[in-house]
Amino acid sequence: MKVLIVDDEPLARERLASLLIEAGAEVIGEASDGRAAVEAVAALHPDIVLLDIRMPVMDGLEAARHIANLDSPPAMIFCTAYDEHALAAFDASAIDYLVKPVRLERLRTALERAKRFHTTAIEKVAETASTQRARSHLCARVRGNLVLVPIGDIQYLLAEDKYVVVHTGKGEVLIEEALKTLETEFGERFVRIHRNCLVARDRMSGLVRGADGAIFVKIEGTDATLEISRRNLPALRKLVRTL
Amino acid sequence: MAPGPTPATRDGTAPPYWLPDFCSAQVLFAVMIVAELLTVVILIAPSDETRAFLPRLTTTSVFVQWLALVSAVCLCKLRPQLERLKPWLGVAAAYVLMLVVTILGSALVFTLDQQLNLNLTLPPQFEARFIGRNTALCALIGAALLRYFYVFEQWRARIRAEGKARFDALQARIRPHFLFNSMNTIASLIPLRPTEAEHAIENLADLFRAALGNDAAQSTLGEELDLVRRYLDIEKLRLGDRLDVKFDVDALPASMALPALLLQPLIENAVYHGIQQLPDGGTVTIDGKRADGRIEIVIRNPRPLEHSRLAGRHGMALANTRARIEYHFGRRGTLDIDAGADFFACTVKIPDESRPDESADR
Repeated sequence: MKVLIVDDEPLARERLASLLIEAGAEVIGEASDGRAAVEAVAALHPDIVLLDIRMPVMDGLEAARHIANLDSPPAMIFCTAYDEHALAAFDASAIDYLVKPVRLERLRTALERAKRFHTTAIEKVAETASTQRARSHLCARVRGNLVLVPIGDIQYLLAEDKYVVVHTGKGEVLIEEALKTLETEFGERFVRIHRNCLVARDRMSGLVRGADGAIFVKIEGTDATLEISRRNLPALRKLVRTL
Repeated sequence: MAPGPTPATRDGTAPPYWLPDFCSAQVLFAVMIVAELLTVVILIAPSDETRAFLPRLTTTSVFVQWLALVSAVCLCKLRPQLERLKPWLGVAAAYVLMLVVTILGSALVFTLDQQLNLNLTLPPQFEARFIGRNTALCALIGAALLRYFYVFEQWRARIRAEGKARFDALQARIRPHFLFNSMNTIASLIPLRPTEAEHAIENLADLFRAALGNDAAQSTLGEELDLVRRYLDIEKLRLGDRLDVKFDVDALPASMALPALLLQPLIENAVYHGIQQLPDGGTVTIDGKRADGRIEIVIRNPRPLEHSRLAGRHGMALANTRARIEYHFGRRGTLDIDAGADFFACTVKIPDESRPDESADR
């Protein structure tokens, strides 16, 4: 049984590793934050992931959401130092979680039971637990490889057919999500300027008028200009003035 | 305003007193005012009296005040005994006491008046009427007064209890996360580095001794800074080289009295919302200085840019600390926040209450 340990505390990882060896599992890797965990799962294909909840960069709940979306995702067991309400709300039959310091017997049962919990259930649970908060990263796949895009890097999101193109300063990736749900989730960060476009508020550098009278948004540090629909114009003028 | 509460009531555990402290100046004054008002009421009521108002006011005042004060002094002296009775029995006893004082006082004054022939009361054949009238007045006014005191004392007891509850609610708390994370760290250390595990347990014990102790027990600034160091030592074990700490508190007077765990929650915030959220960690700085009769302590930490979702508990710890500072130092204590995009700083300013002869030994 190949296990990946995810925890931001070196001592906590160390202890889990020795317990896992004692329980007869094979530790194939360690990660110190949620983002590294998602990448490690994609690269190492573990059978089970032990996921800490509170971690920098990306927390365990969000990491679980991304991991559950991968092809043939591993079983996941949450580890937490203290029963947070996020976990208390979980349906006990849907997922398993361990409290720290973890007991060896408890770890053994968790490893045995892990197979029985469906990742779809975990995804659902993690999603419910983290719906109050927006994700910190978007997960995309480029030629089969996993790419995690920090929300802070995104300049604008452009809908094309059934995809959304995520534009960062460094390039663009496709994600299979609806612009509408992204707008709801990240409403604080992005503003809609057109039926097919969301722009990061802090990346707008100004408005320009095109030759045919249409108004465009300029994006900081790029040559990109994005057309504003007539409907969104009044709200945007107001926003740009306050920027 | 109110007479000083006895030690038994200060902690809110004693049953509410139904009888005020009649020996206190405030209550005596209130009794005298009520007695004087009663006198005026008696005098302006229609009667067949023929003497002038002022002389009557003087003699009646002296008489009523005398009765009231004798009653008050008796109640004051008998208060410990009365308090031991059941409340209803105590009230009845106090009431009877007042009536007895009035009856005996009236009888005495009437007899004296007759003997000295001053004609201040009533003709000799009306002794029973004089005593009876005074007793009836005392019975009515006394009942109202005891009732008033009872209600007033209950109200004061409730106010005290509420104040205590508010104060308790403000008691500094260490996050449960911290306890369980520390336990986990210690469990990891035992097989690897037992000496460090032992040291961590000692530190943890000190912290929880302070957290579970009585908040009213005053600690000192030096002890508080020691607690902060112990807390940070434990967190350093847990977070490894992600946590760096810079202390510059040599200027602070270590022996100045300070409520326990006033600073620690702010440091805990700095670690919990700052350092722990950064993959590469950072440095918590604690700077202390004295200026213009004030002590200023600045706690500063870096934090991730994406911090919008860290509100809740953070704000609570800050509000709690601010309330405690206000509670202890009044308007002279403040907690200021300077929140930047990638850093967070809070400044505690409290009056420098160290005695001038104290050396800044820390």
